[in-house]
Amino acid sequence: MGEGVETLRRDLRELVHKHVPPDFLGAFTDDPADLEVAQSFSRTLAELGLLCMAWPTEFGGRGATLWEQTVVREEMWAHHEPRGAQYMGVNWVGPAIMRHGTAEQQQRHLPPIARGEVIWCQGFSEPESGSDLASLRTTAHPDEESGGWRVSGQKVWTSYATMAQWCFLLARTSREKRRQQGLTVFLVPMSDPAIEVRPIPSMLGPHHLNEVFFDELRVTEADVLGTVGGGWSIVQEVLAFERVGIARYARVERLLQAAPAALGAEWDVLPEELRSRWARMLVHARRARLLAYRVVSLQAGGRIRPDDSAAYRIAVTRLDQESAEVLMDIVAGASLPGEEGRRFRRAVEDHRRYSVSATVASGSVEMQRILMSRSLLAAR
Amino acid sequence: MNTELSEEAVEYGRTALRAFEAAGGDQIVQDAEREPARRADLVEPVLAELGAWDLDPRGGADELEAVAALCRVAGWWALPYPVAERLARPADGSTDGLVVIAGTGPGGAAGAAGAGDARDAGDAGDAGLVGYGPAAPVAGLGRRWSTVTFDGGRGVATAAPPTTTPRYGAFVTGLVDDPALVPSQASRDGDGLADLALGLVLPCWTLLGMLDRAIDLTRAHVLAREQFGQPLARFQGVQFQLTDAEVERLGVEELAKYALWAVATGRGEAVDDALALRLAILEAADQVFRVAHQLHGAMGFCDETTLSWISRYSQPVRRLPLGLSATRDELTRRIGRAGLAGPFAPRREPNLEVQPL
Repeated sequence: MGEGVETLRRDLRELVHKHVPPDFLGAFTDDPADLEVAQSFSRTLAELGLLCMAWPTEFGGRGATLWEQTVVREEMWAHHEPRGAQYMGVNWVGPAIMRHGTAEQQQRHLPPIARGEVIWCQGFSEPESGSDLASLRTTAHPDEESGGWRVSGQKVWTSYATMAQWCFLLARTSREKRRQQGLTVFLVPMSDPAIEVRPIPSMLGPHHLNEVFFDELRVTEADVLGTVGGGWSIVQEVLAFERVGIARYARVERLLQAAPAALGAEWDVLPEELRSRWARMLVHARRARLLAYRVVSLQAGGRIRPDDSAAYRIAVTRLDQESAEVLMDIVAGASLPGEEGRRFRRAVEDHRRYSVSATVASGSVEMQRILMSRSLLAAR
Repeated sequence: MNTELSEEAVEYGRTALRAFEAAGGDQIVQDAEREPARRADLVEPVLAELGAWDLDPRGGADELEAVAALCRVAGWWALPYPVAERLARPADGSTDGLVVIAGTGPGGAAGAAGAGDARDAGDAGDAGLVGYGPAAPVAGLGRRWSTVTFDGGRGVATAAPPTTTPRYGAFVTGLVDDPALVPSQASRDGDGLADLALGLVLPCWTLLGMLDRAIDLTRAHVLAREQFGQPLARFQGVQFQLTDAEVERLGVEELAKYALWAVATGRGEAVDDALALRLAILEAADQVFRVAHQLHGAMGFCDETTLSWISRYSQPVRRLPLGLSATRDELTRRIGRAGLAGPFAPRREPNLEVQPL
């Protein structure tokens, strides 16, 4: 990756070591202090110019290379994403506003994102529209009184909705022949009383899953991102910003590599077959990392196609789940005494709960298979 | 970070692919199986034409990549010839090639899976796929082969005459340790572990070529074969199986490039990296060939399909020197508590302090 990139990795580790408690397992736990850790850490990254380093210089970033961005993704996910929900604003809401926003929208939204002060949520999925996003029913009806629209409908699985200040909302503004047409992106404040958020208790912990109801929410032309009816292409572009998405392999590698030290002498009395499964997972984690690097390399060379990240996503989500089973077996048979042992056990347990969602979150693995098989079986 | 082979190596591979196609392509292995004595004559002239004998896999990254590209082509056509082993021969030309054998100590006798009993040269043809003990797909070629064991022990072995036909043995024959020849190896360059890494990685490139071909053949078959009035490729059950197999193939392609880089740069962990590759590619081969056969249906067993040949001739590299379970055991034993090198391995890269969990 190069020396500069490894220096960045070292800097990020030092910052995490200094600002994030060792037992931090993410911003969204039962303990509100964890959210504050993440918000504070994000502000620190922002002050050091590390939060939005991928952004172009004209928007306050430093145009970080794709490999630098890769290291940031790896280090943050490996350390339980101490940026909390900030990655969403930084990684794709901000860039989408840069490309499609008006000068006023850019002025309003980009500086708070760059300072790590604002949390965004994503209003895409609905009860009847999961993988088939274009079938969504949340509708923006023309409001003759204001000249804008009134939005009604329901979103679901909306992460961070209870704490977000803004929502990147996709709604239908007209019915066209193709379902992908007639969709519009609105940037709406979550403080509006026409929006109601209901948390959904889940194994992932609080704040991850919510229902969001829109009851005659008034929006205007000024809230539209891009053009009316042009929402689908923005969403497709947004998804393309996240070719590699979450660097799940990084947390897996860190946990696997930490296991022998965490178990101490007990490691040597684990069943041989379990250590063998552990070694196999290390190989699979490396394989997933190299598949991610393949995507980054293609992207860097300007040769990326929409399906190129599918193989990585299939491999890494499977890795997440298989490694969780192996790690759970490892900790289940060990005493893991003391604070460090307890910490390792909790991290593994947390990884296992999260891994269940790996093949569903951010697009199901079946969608990735469909995408990949289309390309594989296309005419050449 | 460059994750690609050099353009020169890729182009060399394309040239080699065309050269073997012109020399008979899929027919080469069929002719060799029918007339084993012609084996070398069917392949060696093409290798000579490609300048393969001038390539030194120990001579730097460029040459190593070219050798790997050639091994991959050998897999694509299921060439009935140990290209990887021959090209890994010692630089002084003292033997015909290099093979990795199971067990420890010169000759691999001690500790080799199933090779604990003393045996004489008369038994040695019954080895590998058709018996037990150190073996390699070198039947009917040169007599003298350099060997390296998993602890880096070097030796020289003699290839026994084969005791079965290539149809069942895929040209595998036993290797008999020849202590009288060991001293001549003292002058060889490099060390045994470097030979071990090289000797493990190159055959994996051959197997990668076989996986490339198996996927390609299966893709073509499901697009052409119609059932219920439409191509098999229209069925999602078919699509998903093929996709999962392709994910395996793509993943091991990346590991193969990584392991090649580890060998080229002489990394201390190159043997770990080679074993990691071997483990992953043996798993991938299991899945790819299972899917390829399933989607070909009964046609896939028939010798009129290329899959039948690729599948059979993939056996030596998948079972020798160690099969899937034994490879996994060897990797587990070797990495111990240290794990694999990488950004989150604390011991291997001390400059990158990993915060303990």
